[in-house]
Amino acid sequence: MDKLLTNKYGVKGAVQRADAKLTLALRKTVSNPLLHYLIFGVIMCVIGYIAKQNTGVIPYSWESGLARTFAYSIASVGFCLLMGYSGLASLGTGGFIGIGTYAMYYIMGVLDLPFALAVVVAIAIAALVGIIVGFISLRIEGIYLVILTLGLSEILRQIYVAVEDNISISRFRVFIETITTRSVTIYYVMVALIIVMIVTTNLINSPTGRAMLAMKNSTSAAQAMGISLIKYRLLAFVLCTVYAALSGVMYMVTTRSVMASDANGTYALITSLNILAAVIIGGYKSVWGAVFGTFIMYGLQTTLLQQVNFLADNPIIITFFSGILVIVVVMFFPGGVAQLLVELKGLIKKLIKKIREGRYGKDLG
Amino acid sequence: MTYLLNTLFATLVPMCVTAMVTMAITLIFKTSSTTNFAQGVISAFGAYFVSYFMGEKVGLSIWIAMPIGVIASTLVAVLIDVGIFRRGRYVNAVGKQIITMGLISIIVSVIPMIFGMTQPSINKFVSGNVQFKGALEGLVVTNNALTCVGITVAVLGVIFILLRFSKWGLTVRATASNEYVAGMMGINTHVVTAITWGLAGALGALAATMLASENASISVYFMTNYQVYAFLAGILGGFATFYGPVIAGVAIPLINGLVIWALNMLGLSEYSGWSMVIVYAIALIIIFFKPQGLFGKRIAKKV
Repeated sequence: MDKLLTNKYGVKGAVQRADAKLTLALRKTVSNPLLHYLIFGVIMCVIGYIAKQNTGVIPYSWESGLARTFAYSIASVGFCLLMGYSGLASLGTGGFIGIGTYAMYYIMGVLDLPFALAVVVAIAIAALVGIIVGFISLRIEGIYLVILTLGLSEILRQIYVAVEDNISISRFRVFIETITTRSVTIYYVMVALIIVMIVTTNLINSPTGRAMLAMKNSTSAAQAMGISLIKYRLLAFVLCTVYAALSGVMYMVTTRSVMASDANGTYALITSLNILAAVIIGGYKSVWGAVFGTFIMYGLQTTLLQQVNFLADNPIIITFFSGILVIVVVMFFPGGVAQLLVELKGLIKKLIKKIREGRYGKDLG
Repeated sequence: MTYLLNTLFATLVPMCVTAMVTMAITLIFKTSSTTNFAQGVISAFGAYFVSYFMGEKVGLSIWIAMPIGVIASTLVAVLIDVGIFRRGRYVNAVGKQIITMGLISIIVSVIPMIFGMTQPSINKFVSGNVQFKGALEGLVVTNNALTCVGITVAVLGVIFILLRFSKWGLTVRATASNEYVAGMMGINTHVVTAITWGLAGALGALAATMLASENASISVYFMTNYQVYAFLAGILGGFATFYGPVIAGVAIPLINGLVIWALNMLGLSEYSGWSMVIVYAIALIIIFFKPQGLFGKRIAKKV
């Protein structure tokens, strides 16, 4: 076939076709979401590196601020999977984050074992907890599940308070290198976040993701198509739990100490609500949206707004406006920022078409 | 025996507070079909008002200051319903929850703007203890706790009677059952939801005042724990009825007290920090066997 075409159109045609193939391959690579994730990760690592040099180009505090934000983003991406693709909502995120922090504390702080082991242990425990809780709680759905997971998160918090209230780790080693407070921790967070984003994107585009989407749109129709509800719900729930635990691990890498009894702290209801709000603001069906929403909820305050003197003195005003922003987004832009962008794109396309029509007359074809 | 009774009497105020907050949350859940996460901070807002009017600047008695706080919370709650929920009628259930979450941020930042970064406290309603003689000597029951019980029983009793027998109660129950159909039957559902929100705010302020009068200094998040108990009580009792959640709301602090007592009796007093964990575990087991709650009804699902 190839040879035949070459004969028919001559050498020139073959070159053209090869060209077209190359452009196609290039376009495919450029539009590949995985590449976007990688580029995003590299940019953030560079920003973190420059900030840590303390030359004044980028404020020093940005590194830890961004690292913490993206640590929370890991939990948000998991939540995006749970809510946007299987239609369940949970408020257990705060408690599940604690699994990661305590795994870090015991493996690295107490037993002084390597970091990789802490990650593995955190994931294993989170998966176990997710399966047990999932079996109990996925029998009920909707708003009840939210309340049940809220109660569960509170149990976990009480357990943390009872076991060891104030945990901290001073230094730890990743394989060989020892991380101290002066190290750039955003590298570790970004690696974890990008792996999570890639896994999630692949999952969403796989048959599993489609089954989840079908389940979300209509449980009865999905059941009729032979989709096992409990299987996919459990999978989504377990993944969400595992991501939250991983997020806790990364949170511990950046902040080093957490206090469990703090009523407004990391394991409290407010974290679960903030993550939920982040996913809603960003757009609950988009991985990018989850990351962006977390930035709005956590990162904006620690990076950009802190530079404004007035706001740095009155942090309460930021809380006030973040509340208003959340309400406005939910009431008027239910799809979040991600949908807003899509609508904006359509609007611009329409505008261009209109300008063209004005210039060349209406397209009759 | 004395110890057991004392443990139970110590849980009187938490029982009252949880029962009231549970009632507030159930009212809003049934008429607006959302879990109101802002209940805790709306209640705290009222308690701040009470403490301000009782403080050195104004110096009113608690019986005059408390209604002022109750009115403040009621107004805030009604404002929330009229200003936000009435407009966001077609926002889905999770969206409504997020709105109440946004309200937390707003109220939490408004309170320091009005009252400053203080942690005020409230005097007791009545000071002193009840005197016991003879076999019951050694029992500690504060007059304050008994006053709280009195207020709670009176308020909740009136609400239950109104819900059951008055025309207003009928409109609330109809709206709770199906807002759309209730509207078609000529019920002004806007007014009904606004009143239930106001009532929930009032109950919250009362509960917060009672809690603060017993022991706690007031802070922005000091009602959050009770709010979480109330959610758990709602799901444990089943949101299908009004009385189910309230009974569960009374039961949760009671069981907590019993667990603390049992741990002490077994010589495990150093594990008393785990008491709430045990209570939650018991609740989860009950929910596992009865997903609709203790007093819930099985709901047939339409396809």
